[in-house]
Amino acid sequence: MRRWLWILVFALGLAGAQTVGNEPPPDLPPKVFEIAKKLRCPVCRGESAAESNAGVTEEMRRQIAEMLAEGKTEDEIIQYFVDRYTEWILYEPPKRGLGLVVWLAPVIGLGLFGFGLYSYLRATSRRAAELEGVSDEELARAEAELGRDDEGGPPS
Amino acid sequence: MRAFFGVLLALAIGALFWWGMQTKDERSELPSALAGRPAPTFDLELLPSSREVWGERLNLSDYLGKKPIILNFWASWCYPACYEEAPILEATWRRWKDRVLFVGVNTQDELDAAEKFIEQFGISFPNVYDPRGKVGIDYGMYGVPETFAISVEGRVLERFAGTISAEKLESMIREVLP
Repeated sequence: MRRWLWILVFALGLAGAQTVGNEPPPDLPPKVFEIAKKLRCPVCRGESAAESNAGVTEEMRRQIAEMLAEGKTEDEIIQYFVDRYTEWILYEPPKRGLGLVVWLAPVIGLGLFGFGLYSYLRATSRRAAELEGVSDEELARAEAELGRDDEGGPPS
Repeated sequence: MRAFFGVLLALAIGALFWWGMQTKDERSELPSALAGRPAPTFDLELLPSSREVWGERLNLSDYLGKKPIILNFWASWCYPACYEEAPILEATWRRWKDRVLFVGVNTQDELDAAEKFIEQFGISFPNVYDPRGKVGIDYGMYGVPETFAISVEGRVLERFAGTISAEKLESMIREVLP
């Protein structure tokens, strides 16, 4: 029982550490991270500008903070980075053009999977229905023939 | 009918793989939003080693429109890429300095380490100090080293990411020469 308690304390500690790690440092307002989350880290690619510790993203966050202090809107700030990096800098691809493919691909994939599953299940149930239509007499004869094949067949 | 869909699906997956295989290494091929647009200017302090010849500060707009410019972003912590290209940059600059201006932008670096780098390679073209890396973002830079070719009209013509070779640098210069 005590062991479980320790595991629970450890898990809660980990969860707490995770929460603390995701919080913005006190010198930048949370709005900075909200905007940085929508931008991609130019060096690390897989991370947003909010999560990354790369030098370039530190500067991006600092510039976002400065622009917010100047009274710029979120859209204006994002446009500032798009003007310099193209739409590649957007962490989520735009829902148009080639970016739309990225958004639609999972839906299409799921649709294809559903269609495949439906076809398979329909074929299986049709086979089961066909079997139901076979009379007991026919089944017995088939089994007898199979049995005779087993006995009379060549040794394997 | 099912076979038709199967073939169609296989073709679609094959086409996707083919497209993926055709996509080149994006490090040096990333799109530059600046292509053909006026080069962003900056006014930054020069590294102490550049001051004797070039003065205290360098304002890029003072040089735009006079000569084509090769702008190179680097840092002393960028090893080995920046160390590999530094001798190439210096040798090429010495060959072309009458017709092209080279400007180095030392980005997100320590002053002492940057100076040591300059001394190590005997760099003689002007180098500005940008500890925040602000100019890099203005140029849509992904990471050091990166080199931009600016025409005599002050427009960004080309961007190269990664260690630049002598051949590539020469071809960039030929492109910006009037």
